[in-house]
Parts: sequence; structure tokens; C-alpha cells
Amino acid sequence: MTNDTPDTTGAANGDAAVAAPDLSATIWPEVDRALSGITATAEKAVLDVIVFIPRDEIIDGLRRLKNDETLAFDYLRSLTAVDQEEAGMEVVYHLYSTTRRHNLTVKVALDNDDLTIDTATVVWKAANWLERETAEMFGIRFNDHPDPRTLLMPEDMADTFPLRKSHPLQEIEILQGEGMGYGEEGPA
Amino acid sequence: MVAEPSERAREFETQDLLLNVGPQHPSTHGVFRMVLSVDGEVVKDVIPYIGYLHRGAEKLCETMDYRQGIGFMDRTEYLAAFNAELSYLMAVETLAELEVPERAQWIRMILCELNRLSSHFMFLGAFGIDVGVFATPFIYAWREREALIDLFEEISGDRMMYAYFRPGGLAWDVPQNFKQRVEEVLKSSEQGIKDFDGLLTNDEIFRARTQGVGVISAADAIDYGMSGPSIRASGVPLDVRRDEPYLKYDEVEWDVITGSNGDVFDRYYCRLLEMRESVKIVRQCLERMADTGPIMPEKMPRMLRTPPGEVYIRTEAPRGEYGIYLVSKGGNRPYRLKVRSACLSNLQALRDMSVGQYVADAIIVLGSIDIVLSEVDR
Repeated sequence: MTNDTPDTTGAANGDAAVAAPDLSATIWPEVDRALSGITATAEKAVLDVIVFIPRDEIIDGLRRLKNDETLAFDYLRSLTAVDQEEAGMEVVYHLYSTTRRHNLTVKVALDNDDLTIDTATVVWKAANWLERETAEMFGIRFNDHPDPRTLLMPEDMADTFPLRKSHPLQEIEILQGEGMGYGEEGPA
Repeated sequence: MVAEPSERAREFETQDLLLNVGPQHPSTHGVFRMVLSVDGEVVKDVIPYIGYLHRGAEKLCETMDYRQGIGFMDRTEYLAAFNAELSYLMAVETLAELEVPERAQWIRMILCELNRLSSHFMFLGAFGIDVGVFATPFIYAWREREALIDLFEEISGDRMMYAYFRPGGLAWDVPQNFKQRVEEVLKSSEQGIKDFDGLLTNDEIFRARTQGVGVISAADAIDYGMSGPSIRASGVPLDVRRDEPYLKYDEVEWDVITGSNGDVFDRYYCRLLEMRESVKIVRQCLERMADTGPIMPEKMPRMLRTPPGEVYIRTEAPRGEYGIYLVSKGGNRPYRLKVRSACLSNLQALRDMSVGQYVADAIIVLGSIDIVLSEVDR
């Protein structure tokens, strides 16, 4: 793996805007062109470029990324969500192009009051089960999903969202981390 | 879950039969259940049910130190635990900016490729039973796999859940006779591959049974996000080892094996040929690897912490792309850990592959995807 690109997401850099000069050498200019008209912003993670797309334009954006000739993101590697607690939730798409062999991470921020987003199954079939899993684990609703049943969870636990940070752990699971000092400060 | 009766069935006033397969059935390779809607012998619809093995490994990892998480990764992909550990640790090492010593990288690569061999032997044996070649291939496969697993036990102390890779390198050095033992095991594996080739590949009945069954096109396979030998059999040369080399894969000579028809036979044959490539890779690793040298970085922090950031690591496990999405907010445990399971994406295509096939063929289609349910459910 290449580690030569500096990590610009560190806390010292502050706002994402600082990262702008680095992005000219990445895939971002191409993505920016393909997404013209959509208010997308970008930031560089350790390996891939992360593109933030507003929720209402996500399907349009993903379609353009897939159908663009130079980008050709025809392969959905992974789809998941991250619970950012008060800051809402993020739906994360990891895209890959089997012909051009490049990667892109797409993120959509969702407000905690309205955890709904349009389904990406219209773009890639791969999104089907991944969205079902994300829905039951985080309580995010994917509008117009063709098969909105639970995937891994039992049907009678439809109102429990285990991967949310607010979901309580069993006592035994908390004990496993005890003494490892995994809090903010770490061990004494 | 009652399927809609087809037009033809209404005409003759017959009804499609719902046939439940699993969850406890040898042919489902674990706890997997599918409901087949059959018209006579022909499968009209498949509804897979998964989640019987869901243990919440992702959530549990969020509560644990990075080193404690290694054990959970073993248990997600128990037939290729070295590959699973590698992916997880590469994510941790990338974020923590740990440099793995060269010798440790060669050892990791050897063990991952040997694990690919043992996993594919498992597939060959189980697939033989699915197809109806009872017992013989299974015993042959078990014999070769046993030799590999004995070697893993000598090195790591465990036959399946190794927990041998550690952040920065390895838990301890390999035994002194490592190279000689690997060479022995390679010889027996090569013989095993040859035996299988003779036993199954050109068998007329086996070919009649598997060729043209469960076809998936290259475009569909990409759309479903399939990976590993399952997508390469459809003629898509997608291999993370070649496309985005990690460890030392860019320094050794080997070929990406692709099929052309995307049927059950091609998925079987891709795996068989891929095993020969693995043997080739391990031989080159043995040549390049130093006999002695460090296996851990000189300076390792007592408490492993990662700066805030996120990374998506992809590696090529025997079943396809095993990805780890790791989000860190500082501290010594993941904020969010997502395991991208190759089998989950491969299994999604099961319906497309099985509809229109005979019931007996639906079983070998499932077998040819080579699922590990603990990886699907996590």
C-alpha cells in the first residue's frame, strides 16, 4: 500500500478547505467536472478521495459517476453508514472502476430528524442487500427500496438498531474493554 | 412468502411448490436457508435468508483495543483467517503509520497464499459432494488440507483461529525449519491439485453436470459487486492483488486466472488453476525471504493509538475482496469498523444464477459460490 500521501484529515489541519491544493493531483477535478451542477465538496483521506454530495442529489450524482466515460464507477465495493451521534449519520459508498481501476468514497450526511435517503439499487444491483443491512443496523430508511425486509436481524427486532452508538451493550461486552483505557485520555 | 403462480400454472390449475432448503443442511455449507419456488423440477424463484450466524462482530470491535479485534476477524472468515487478519491489520497499520518489516511481509504473504490453498481445497472437497462425486474428492482434499493446517498449527499454535499477525508484524518468529516445511507442504499440495485435475476436470459426467449451469454474465457480475474467482470465471480480470498490489504482490510473477463462460464449471476451474498460481507465488516468496531478520518494527508503542481518520483497505481473500472500512476518532479502538464481505455480494447473485435451473443444479450453483456463512453474517 502507498503511504506516501500525507494525511490531511488530521485535527491539526482544521477545516477541510485546507486540503484543497492537494486534490488537484487526485481524481477530484474529473469528479468535479462530472458532478457539475451538484454542490459537492471533497477531502482527501489516507488512501482515497472523499466526495460529499447533498442527500437530495445523491442518486443523480452516483448515476453520473457511473455513466461518465472517464470515471466509469461501475462497481460498488461497499455501502454502509457511520453514526456521528449529534452530527447525524453518514451514508458511505465505496466505488471502484473495473476498467479504469480507481477508487472514490462518496458520503452523504443525514440529519438525525430525517434519516431517509433514496435507494442506490437503481444504479447498482449490489446496493440491494447492503442497503437492507444498513437500514436495519442504523435505522436509515432507503426510499423505494425494492425489497425492504430485514437481512441479518430477526423480523421481531425491527425497532432495534444495534450499530447505533446509542444502542446499549450487554454488561459482558463492556467488561471486555475495561482496563484497556479506551476512553479519550487512555490509560493512566 | 407465497410466490405468485405463473401464467402457465394457472392455466393447468397447478401450483408452484415452495421448497425449503436449510438452515441445517450439509449442502448449504453452514446455516443458510433458501426457499425455492419450483415448478416440477425447475426453479422459478429463490429467496435466500441469512443472518443465522450474526454475532455483531463490527459492534464488538468498537468496544475493544485494536489488538483484541484480531480474534474477531479470525472468526468472520474462519476458512481463511490469515487473509482476514491481514486486511484488518493493514487498516490499523495504515492509520497508525506503522511500517511492517520486509521479512514479516514475506511471511504474511506466504501464509496468506497457503491459506488460499487450504481454503480452495476445502471448496474442492465440498463441491465434489455437492455435485455427487461422493467421498473420494472430499477425502483427497482433506488429506492435503490437513498438511497445510498442521503447518499453520506449528507456526501459530492454532489450527484455524491463528491470531498470528499483529499490528506492525507477527506475534513471534516462524520455526527454524519454516522454509523446508513450506516446501514439503507445497509438494503435497501440488500433488493434490494434480489429483483433482485428473479426478474431476476431464470427467465427462462432471462436465455434463457443471458446464452451462448457473451462468452469470460479466456485466451482471460487476453490477452485483461480485469478486474473487466467482467474478473472474465470468471473464472479468478483477483481482486486488494485481490491480492495487499490497504486501509484495507487485514483486512476484503470477497470472490472473479468468474463465469465459461464467458457469459452475468455470468457477470450479478458476479456483483449481488459481491454486497453481498460489504455489508459484509461495515458491518465489521463499526465495526472496531472508532467513533471519526483524519481524516487528523497532519501536512499537505500548498502547497502539491511531490518529483521527478513515481508510478502506481491500485485500484479495480466497472468496474475493475482503474489505475493512475503519473510522478512527483517535484513541486505541475503532470508532466504526465495517467488514466488506465478499460472500455477501457474491450470494446476492444466487437468484440470477439459479432461476431456470433444476433443483439439483441450484445446489451446485450455491456450492460454486463457495460461501462461508460466518463471513456473510459477521
